[in-house]
Amino acid sequence: MNASDKKEKKDFLIRFSKSPAMSSFRKLCHEILAKSRCIVLDAEFNRLKSEKRYGHLSLGKYLARQKLSALKEYMAFKCSCDKVCLSLPIIQGSSIYGYILFIHLKNEPDIKLINAISLFMDMTLKEFQKEQELGKLYDTIRPRAIALSTIHTIHRLLSSTLDMDELIERIARLTLQVMRSRYCSIMLLNESKKYLIPKAVIDLEKEIPKTDKRYNTIRVGVRVEGRVAKTGKVFLSRNGVCVPLVEEDIIGIIIARNKTNKAAFDKFELEILSTLAEQAVIAIKNAQMYAEQEKMAYGSIKSLAALLDAKSPNTYTHSEQFVTIVLAIAEEMKLPREDIINLHYAALLPDTGKFSIPEEILKKTGSLSRKEYEIIKKQHLESLKIIEHMEFLKPAMPIIRYHHERYDGTGYPEGLKADRIPIGARIMAVADTFEAMISRRPYKGRKTSVSQAIKEIEKNKGTQFDPEVVNTFITIIKRPEFKKTLAMPIS
Amino acid sequence: MKKIKKLFKNEAAKRILLFFNENPNCIDTAKGISLWIGYDVALTQKALNHLVKENILINHRTISTSAYAYTNNKAIVKKIEKYIKNIR
Repeated sequence: MNASDKKEKKDFLIRFSKSPAMSSFRKLCHEILAKSRCIVLDAEFNRLKSEKRYGHLSLGKYLARQKLSALKEYMAFKCSCDKVCLSLPIIQGSSIYGYILFIHLKNEPDIKLINAISLFMDMTLKEFQKEQELGKLYDTIRPRAIALSTIHTIHRLLSSTLDMDELIERIARLTLQVMRSRYCSIMLLNESKKYLIPKAVIDLEKEIPKTDKRYNTIRVGVRVEGRVAKTGKVFLSRNGVCVPLVEEDIIGIIIARNKTNKAAFDKFELEILSTLAEQAVIAIKNAQMYAEQEKMAYGSIKSLAALLDAKSPNTYTHSEQFVTIVLAIAEEMKLPREDIINLHYAALLPDTGKFSIPEEILKKTGSLSRKEYEIIKKQHLESLKIIEHMEFLKPAMPIIRYHHERYDGTGYPEGLKADRIPIGARIMAVADTFEAMISRRPYKGRKTSVSQAIKEIEKNKGTQFDPEVVNTFITIIKRPEFKKTLAMPIS
Repeated sequence: MKKIKKLFKNEAAKRILLFFNENPNCIDTAKGISLWIGYDVALTQKALNHLVKENILINHRTISTSAYAYTNNKAIVKKIEKYIKNIR
């Protein structure tokens, strides 16, 4: 037996002697063997250091003298204090790891009892082995399971946004967290694939302005980042780790530097960052596809708006200023991003509902007759059919449909009241009325001043308009950018 | 250190701190963390919120998910590490 085998066996024996299974075994034997003591000896009959010392007995030496090193059976004998001792071998497979020695027995136990104790010891040993295996499994599997769960959580966090700027920032922050690093930078290749453009640079020590040199573009092939982007090979050093973002081609890189505890980055962390990069690429690609889709949707809506404008300018669409006001109110009211996008779509085609309303009614300057009003209500819904087949406009449809509703329930087409009117429609109603008042239309008399228009809207707060929307509108309209574009004094 | 001692009096907070001290790279939901520490989800959630308030944990929040991670503050991490060493 070589030294390492010997050490391994001894370590096993020490762990066994201290295990809960062994403790139960000792307690039980103490009861059934008339308060005898139990000591664990190694294969050479030496007492383990962890075992209690019984000075008056030199049992190890005694047994050694008997040359019983290969003894695989139990042995009972008298010791120097004239009491009986019983030894049982601890066997694992075919080799003896050590012995269990019971001392201070009054008589030699009955053979049936010895067999029962021997059986119980085998069971104790098996239980300990099971404990050991479970412990090993726990030590190897648990960190990996935690890492896997972390990656799954990161996936959830990354897939919950389609906004590219928000996503890149989030990837950088999560990288800092998982790598326990102080610095992280995410760079994406430009269209020509010749340069890396920094999209997010985070240093835990200080905020980095976009003018900082760390936001400078890097030529592919130059510096660590450029080399990783060129070769697609990961980079690992004591103070930094860099992995490529690979979809079909390389689209960028993630680099983490300087661990918070000043330790070195290791292979496990490189593996984690590579997995995180895989998740990041999927999320980036999704965000890019979503942006493309959004661009196409805006293109289609603008084409439709241009087509409607060609039929009758300013009848079905409004000015850019109208769209800006609508979006400013929505952002000030902190509407979710998805709702703001739908509101934007709706604001580009606010009056599609007028499409099949006869022109003489649309351009009438005086008040409408009951019959004319009924035509408007009916045709408003009819006209909306021209856009209902555009799938991406479906969430915007209720905004377009109901922006002629009044807060008190006296509007059209359905006479909806207060919160039953979609929030987007309530916002558009205010902006629509404001724009109608301040702009000159061929069928309308002279235009109203901005101040008068605001007063008029405020007057109808709670009846025609949602009070919260009106308050927000008054807040945003006083902003310098609107004061300038409206080019009118706003009190 | 007094503040940390107080935090360790709450069983859920204690388990969470021991967990993050051992697994500082972990990011997980309240449900996930409660599983790792073997403690009731509601009590874990309560302790997590408290530890976020104390700047010991960071809450990475999105509309659908709330995930918790260990602070990157060196001083706090060191203090907790030292406290754990002392009680062991």
